[in-house]
Amino acid sequence: MFGEQQRFMLFLIAPAALLMLLFQVLPIVIGANASFRDWALYNPKKIWVGFSHYYAVLSDPAFLYTVLPNTFLFMILSVAGALVAGLALALLLNRPFRGQKLVQTILLVPLMVAPVVAAIMIRWMFNDQFGIVNTVLEAIGLEGQPWLVQRWSAFGIILLTDIWLWTPWFTLLLLAGLQSLPKEPFEAAAIDGTTTWRVFRFLTLPMLRPVIVVCVVIRAIDAFRTFDIVWTLTGGGPGRSTELFSLYAYVHAFLNLDLGRGSAAAIIGGLIILVIGVVLYRLVDRIAKA
Amino acid sequence: MPIVSRPDFLPGLPKWSRKTLFALALFGICFAFAFPVLWLILTSLRPESGVYYVHRGTEFTLASFAEVLTDDRIVSAFLNSALISTLATIFSLLVTVSSGYMLSRFTGPASRIWFGTIYVFRCIPYISWVLPLYFVTQSWGLYDTYTGLLLPHVAVHICFFSWLMKGFFDGIDPSMEYAAMIDGCTRWGAFIRVAIPSALPAISALAVLCWLFTWNEFLFALILTGNRVPMITVVMAQFVTEMGLRWNLMAATAVMALVPAFLVALFGQKYVIRGLRI
Repeated sequence: MFGEQQRFMLFLIAPAALLMLLFQVLPIVIGANASFRDWALYNPKKIWVGFSHYYAVLSDPAFLYTVLPNTFLFMILSVAGALVAGLALALLLNRPFRGQKLVQTILLVPLMVAPVVAAIMIRWMFNDQFGIVNTVLEAIGLEGQPWLVQRWSAFGIILLTDIWLWTPWFTLLLLAGLQSLPKEPFEAAAIDGTTTWRVFRFLTLPMLRPVIVVCVVIRAIDAFRTFDIVWTLTGGGPGRSTELFSLYAYVHAFLNLDLGRGSAAAIIGGLIILVIGVVLYRLVDRIAKA
Repeated sequence: MPIVSRPDFLPGLPKWSRKTLFALALFGICFAFAFPVLWLILTSLRPESGVYYVHRGTEFTLASFAEVLTDDRIVSAFLNSALISTLATIFSLLVTVSSGYMLSRFTGPASRIWFGTIYVFRCIPYISWVLPLYFVTQSWGLYDTYTGLLLPHVAVHICFFSWLMKGFFDGIDPSMEYAAMIDGCTRWGAFIRVAIPSALPAISALAVLCWLFTWNEFLFALILTGNRVPMITVVMAQFVTEMGLRWNLMAATAVMALVPAFLVALFGQKYVIRGLRI
């Protein structure tokens, strides 16, 4: 029924497709089903309730005015911060110097650190009583802050942790990109005496754009679903003021034991990021073709 | 006059000050990325009474490590994490190398549809399918077992790694495979005997990344395991709340969780960097 080539293609992807079917597609279908039912974990009646969970999530002030703005703010700031820092580091390191290997190895450190461990480290450093940050602040005469129990400082620390974790990733990929750029345009600019800023603005940045865009898309999609560092740093607190979307779904499903509502939240978030993902993909495609 | 192909660092300043500033910048970068880890290591080496003033005092001890290692739950969490990471790496590579090869070597609707599927599933947040997966594994009797954690881990790697693998294979000229096929190799022969050996550096990079991702993963382990298969990340996160004030033990556990990842990354570093450049 299939040609020899079709059979080969099918066999190449069959194991992957089967796994995805069982462990991604099927759960999503079951989750979609649960999101329409009264499915409390302690008393799963599984009665059809239509869109009422969706309505509950979308009219929940916590979701609309805290979780969604937090998630988008986090996504934009974390990607922008890591991109700017990563690009700056890549430009700085894009020259031969002694100790290059050492610096590169140190830059790899955050990539090996589990987000949970990173969150523990930062939490310890910003501990309000014994943390090194407050100790240093007090030593130079400033007042220590209870960093993790105020909304915006807690949010800032979550952001800082994420940027710390991901800047090296941007740096390494952008550095690889920089090193594969052709040399001739830069030599021409040097002969013409072009200023450094103009070289960056009109040569480096446009030529690096495809790499940058791919990095940003991958990272933005991942940033949207951030869970582990928030969970370990603040648990969504103080109150629920630093909750991100993944946390909201988790809290409803496993702490409030309402799987129906948790699933509805998970599906709403999934749909939002899917739209963003498709739009971003179009963008990549256009830039790659231009 | 030599032609500079890369813009100078802070042009316009005298050379010696440029050099000093560059060195300072490098030092600042290394400090920013290494300090939290160094601080954690330092904390883990302090005795219980010294943990509240880590920056003062000179007593150091390995007692925290010794105490952590007597905790059965932590030790079994380490063993579980190591086992699951290794198995997940092996299975992921088996599955994604072939899927990436398919994406790279074939064009046409089948390949486009598969790529689209992978991109869409890459976008879907983990929580959206791990949350209901809790039920699926429970009804299949896989909840809190090795299989029930391993297979979702393999599944989650499919999208990203197939994509990376496609990129790697795109960078390898297929003419060798055609030559092998003309000489009488089957498609499978060309794939296994010609394409895979030439992609080995990339595959090694993928293996390192896969091991690290699994070792560091938190959400799956949190939702899909209970007491029978504790994973190290979950045990640590529970620590923060349960043992909130015993920071020396916390730090010792975290340092121990860093060690295997560091070893894997250190030995795999050249593959990762080489693999990323293809």
